[in-house]
Amino acid sequence: MRKLVWRNLLRNKRRTIFTVASVTIAVLLLCVLMAVLATFEPAATAASENRLVVRHAVSLQFDLPEAYWRRLKTLDHVEAVTPLTWFGGIYKDQRPENFFPQFGADPVTLLDVFTDIQIGEDELAAWSAERRAFLAGRSLAEKYGWEIGDEIFLRGEIYPVDLNLTLRGIYTHADDESQERQLFFHRAYVEEALGNPGSVGTYWLRVDVIDNIPAVIETAEAMFENSQARVKAETEQAFALSFTEMIGNVKLLFGAIGLAVVVSVFFITANTMAMAMRERSTEMAVLKTLGFRRGRVLGLVTAESAAIGLLGGVAGVALAAVVLRSVANALAGVFPLFRVLALSPDVAAIGVGVALVLGLLSGALPGWVMARRPVVDGLRRLG
Amino acid sequence: MSDPVVRIEGVGKVYGGDRLRVEVLSGIDLEVREGEFVALMGPSGSGKTTLLNLIAAIDRPTAGRVLVAGQDTSALGEGDLAPWRHRHIGYIFQLYNLIPVLTAYENVELPLTLSRLKTADRRAKVETALGVVDLLDRQDHFPRELSGGQLQRVAIARAIVTDPTVLLADEPTGDLDAESAERVLRLIERLNTEFEKTIILVTHDPRAAEHAHRVLHLEKGKLWSDPEG
Ligand SMILES: Nc1ncnc2c1ncn2[C@@H]1O[C@H](COP(=O)(O)OP(=O)(O)OP(=O)(O)O)[C@@H](O)[C@H]1O
Ligand SMILES: [Mg+2]
Repeated sequence: MRKLVWRNLLRNKRRTIFTVASVTIAVLLLCVLMAVLATFEPAATAASENRLVVRHAVSLQFDLPEAYWRRLKTLDHVEAVTPLTWFGGIYKDQRPENFFPQFGADPVTLLDVFTDIQIGEDELAAWSAERRAFLAGRSLAEKYGWEIGDEIFLRGEIYPVDLNLTLRGIYTHADDESQERQLFFHRAYVEEALGNPGSVGTYWLRVDVIDNIPAVIETAEAMFENSQARVKAETEQAFALSFTEMIGNVKLLFGAIGLAVVVSVFFITANTMAMAMRERSTEMAVLKTLGFRRGRVLGLVTAESAAIGLLGGVAGVALAAVVLRSVANALAGVFPLFRVLALSPDVAAIGVGVALVLGLLSGALPGWVMARRPVVDGLRRLG
Repeated sequence: MSDPVVRIEGVGKVYGGDRLRVEVLSGIDLEVREGEFVALMGPSGSGKTTLLNLIAAIDRPTAGRVLVAGQDTSALGEGDLAPWRHRHIGYIFQLYNLIPVLTAYENVELPLTLSRLKTADRRAKVETALGVVDLLDRQDHFPRELSGGQLQRVAIARAIVTDPTVLLADEPTGDLDAESAERVLRLIERLNTEFEKTIILVTHDPRAAEHAHRVLHLEKGKLWSDPEG
C-alpha cells in the first residue's frame, strides 16, 4: 500500500516536483512573514509611564552629542537623565539565539532613571567602581550560567572595539522578565577606546509627573531645533507603540498575503490531484472491484497529497531557515532588530502544519468525489 | 447436485432516465452451479458486460435479484460490498487493468494487502498464483515490460490469488493474438478442470466458447442456452 502511494507520487515526476515546489514557496513565504512579525513583538513590552526617550530626529542609527546630556538635565520637570548606547556586539557567534541587547551606560545615573531595575548596593558599587565591569539581567546570566567574577568577550560590530568584561552585578526587573535579558557596561570603556568622540545613542529622561510629559517633549525638541543634530523625544510607551502600530498594519498586510498565497497554492495542488485522479479513474475502479473500500481508495489518494504537502512543508521550512539566517546576517549591522530574525520552532511547526493540512485537503476533496463514483463508470471510461 | 453459486432471478437493467431510456436486460434468469464453466456470447452492446458487472456487484440491477454464494447482493450496503467482492469475486478484464506502477508480483499481491496475512503466507500465495500462470520468472517486471498475453496471465493470477468463489472473465482474449489467446483460454480451462473454479467467460469467439460446459446467448435483453447445452 505504501509502495503504491510512493510509486504514484513518482509517476509524473515533473508534476509532483512542480506541486511540491509551489507548496514549498507558499510555506517559505508564510514562515518568513511570521518570523519577521515575531521580531517586532518583543519591542512592544513593558514601558514605564514617566520615562522619555530622546533620540536623533532622523533615525535611531545616528548618535547624539554628549553635550546634550548636560543641557537635557536643565529642563524643567526632568529629574534625571542617563545615556544609553546600543553596542550590538557579538557574543560567542552570530547565531540568533546568542543575540541579546548590550548597552553602554552611565553607572552613576542609570538607576536614577531606570528605577525599576533592582540590584544590591554592594553589586552596584562594585560595578560602578570598575571600568570593565558589567551588569547582567538575571535571565541572561542564568541562560549562560554566568557568575559574579566571570569574564566575557564581546566582539564589536557597529563599533570597531572589542570588549573584555567582568560580571560584577546581576539585576532583576520589577515586573518584566524580558528586561532581564540584557546587559549594561560602562559607556566610558567604549568612548576611551574610540578616542572619546563623545557620542550617545539615546538619552533617557525621568519626568517628575506624567502630566508634564507633553511639555517636556515640546521643550526638549525645541531646545535642539537649530543644533547640529535635531532630536525626537517620545515616551517610552510611544517608542514601543510606534512599533506596535506599525506591527498592527503589517500584521494585517502579512496575514492577507499569507492567506492569498496559501489559498492559491491550495487550488494548484487540488487541481493537480484532480488531474492525477482523472487519469487514474480506471485504476481506482479496478481497486474497488478487487475489494478496496471507498475509504481505502480515498486514503491512498490523500496519503499521496499529504506526502506532497509534507515534502513541500519541510522544504519550505528548511528554506525559510536558510533565508532568514542570511537576511539576519546581512541586515544585523544596519538594523539591529533583525539580528533576532530566525525561524522559531513555533513558526516551523505552523509552516509544516499548514502544508500538511493543505496537502490533505487538496487530495481529500477530489478524492472524495472520485471514490464515490460508481465502479462501472470508472471501468467504462477507458476499457 | 450442489447449490447454484450464482443465481439470477428476473433481473432487469435499465440505463438512463426518462428521455434516454435504454433497457439492456429484462427478465433474466440464470443458475450457475459450483465448478461449472459457462460461456456467455452475444453481439456487441447486448449487455454481456452489464450482466457480469451485476454478478460482481459493481453495478445494481433495476429489477430482480442477484445471489452469489447464497447472498443477495442488493441487500448489502456499499461498505459491506467491498469485502464481499474481495472474498467472492475474481474479475478478469479485456484490457487487463493492471496497475502500471506496480510490478507483476505487486499487482498479484495487491488484493492480499486487504487481508491480514503473514508476509510468508502472502508470498506463498502470490508465488502459487504466478506459478499457475507460469510467470514466476517475470514477477519483477512492470506491466509496460510485458506482452499482452503475459499481462492477461498476470491479471488472471491477480484474480485467483484470493481464491474467489466465482471467476468472471470479460472477453479476456479480445485483445490478444491467436496464439496468446489460445494459451489464456487453456489456462482458464485448467482453472476449471484442475482447480475446480466456477467460471463465467464472456466471449465473441465461438472457438473460445467451445472450452465451456455450457454456452449462453444474450440478445435483445434475453438469455437462452445452446440447444445441445
Ligand atoms: N452507463 C450507461 N448509460 C447508458 N447506457 C449504457 C451505460 N452502460 C452501458 N450502456 C449500454 O448498455 C448496453 C450494453 O452494454 P454492455 O457493455 O453490457 O454490452 P456488451 O454486451 O458488453 O458489449 P461489448 O461486446 O461491446 O462489450 C449498450 O447498448 C450500452 O450502450
Ligand atoms: Mg462488454
